[in-house]
Amino acid sequence: MVLIPDMPAVGRGFISRLEKYTFDNLSWTQPKETKSRRVSIVSTAAISKRGDKPFSWLANNHRVIDKNNLDLVMTHVAVEYDRTAWQQDLNTILPIDRLEEMAREGEIGSVSNEHYSFIGSSDPMKMERSAKEVAERMKMDAVDTVFLVPV
Amino acid sequence: MLAHFFESFGFSTVLVGFVKEHIQAIKPPRALWLDFPMGRPLGIPNNPEYQKKIIRTAFEIFNETSGPILKDFPDVIPVKNGRMGYALPVELVIDQNEIGDIDTLVEEVKVEMENLKLDYDKAVNFRGRTTVGASEVLMNDYVNFISSFVKGEIPQSTRKGIGPVPLLKLVVEDLQAYYTETITFRDKIDDFEKIGTWFWEETKAGRLILCLEAVSLKSENRVLRQIVDMSLITPRFWSEGPLPGTSGSSW
Repeated sequence: MVLIPDMPAVGRGFISRLEKYTFDNLSWTQPKETKSRRVSIVSTAAISKRGDKPFSWLANNHRVIDKNNLDLVMTHVAVEYDRTAWQQDLNTILPIDRLEEMAREGEIGSVSNEHYSFIGSSDPMKMERSAKEVAERMKMDAVDTVFLVPV
Repeated sequence: MLAHFFESFGFSTVLVGFVKEHIQAIKPPRALWLDFPMGRPLGIPNNPEYQKKIIRTAFEIFNETSGPILKDFPDVIPVKNGRMGYALPVELVIDQNEIGDIDTLVEEVKVEMENLKLDYDKAVNFRGRTTVGASEVLMNDYVNFISSFVKGEIPQSTRKGIGPVPLLKLVVEDLQAYYTETITFRDKIDDFEKIGTWFWEETKAGRLILCLEAVSLKSENRVLRQIVDMSLITPRFWSEGPLPGTSGSSW
């Protein structure tokens, strides 16, 4: 089991010092029935369509990933995580094929037309405005369930 | 944090994550902790059943009627000494006066790239995709672009709206991705420690980037110095330290 005290010194020091925001009022949205859920993925891997503007290192904005265009590149500032998995299989960070299979098998209702990407190195408190924009797009797409996948 | 935002906007959310203490502090409504190395939240490439096992375990949390809820995924993908990714050996630091003839090294990297090209093309064909190309610099120009910085020059950026140093970072990552996409296909390996050891400790391309690090640490260009000092070019984040140059003071 790897917890922060088990990590090597440089990473341990950095991760220990990251601000851990807390909320006084925790929101809770009751999930829809399993078989009627429409699911969208939100990644913090800083992936985007080839040709999109790269993420700046502290970007608060997002990129839209169309399910019909999965020619994606990654412009995350961090190099501490393993990139070889996603190089081999997009589904290791953006499991679109798996969700589509689960939808076909009736485990979930459907998969959204779009998915969304942020850069995880940025201050998440500054992402609220962009998250609202994403939420509006999701509502237009009848999404009710969000699967959050960091790297 | 994003989980709280989306939940407050009326979506039900579940996240998977790697740093348990952070999940415990931030208290997202529903979370599944993965005792995995960072970078592979769905665990194992090209293993659909395993990936779906993770999704199903996360989505089972939707059956809970109140939260916040944090559950542990039962499997562990073991890592070496707490390292959540590859880390360069601390002793592997090149000093500027050890760089030698950079033009010879450049030619060696070009030959090395050419020798990998057939397998890279096969890998792209097999996977139907490549992650190489985030920089939008032509592949044949990667080595010359990087070597310009090693020679102490700051070349013009070829990409509108992106400065030369941020572009350099993307080119370095494209070069590395070219190698690692190839080796994971050619040698059928999925072990970031082995892949990292091969690239950084055995290839000429890895040496070129270590030379870039050596020069950048003493550069008068503040941005270049800073990204190297923060280990954003070379993988030293999971090191026991000390870091080269200014000892990672930017961390």
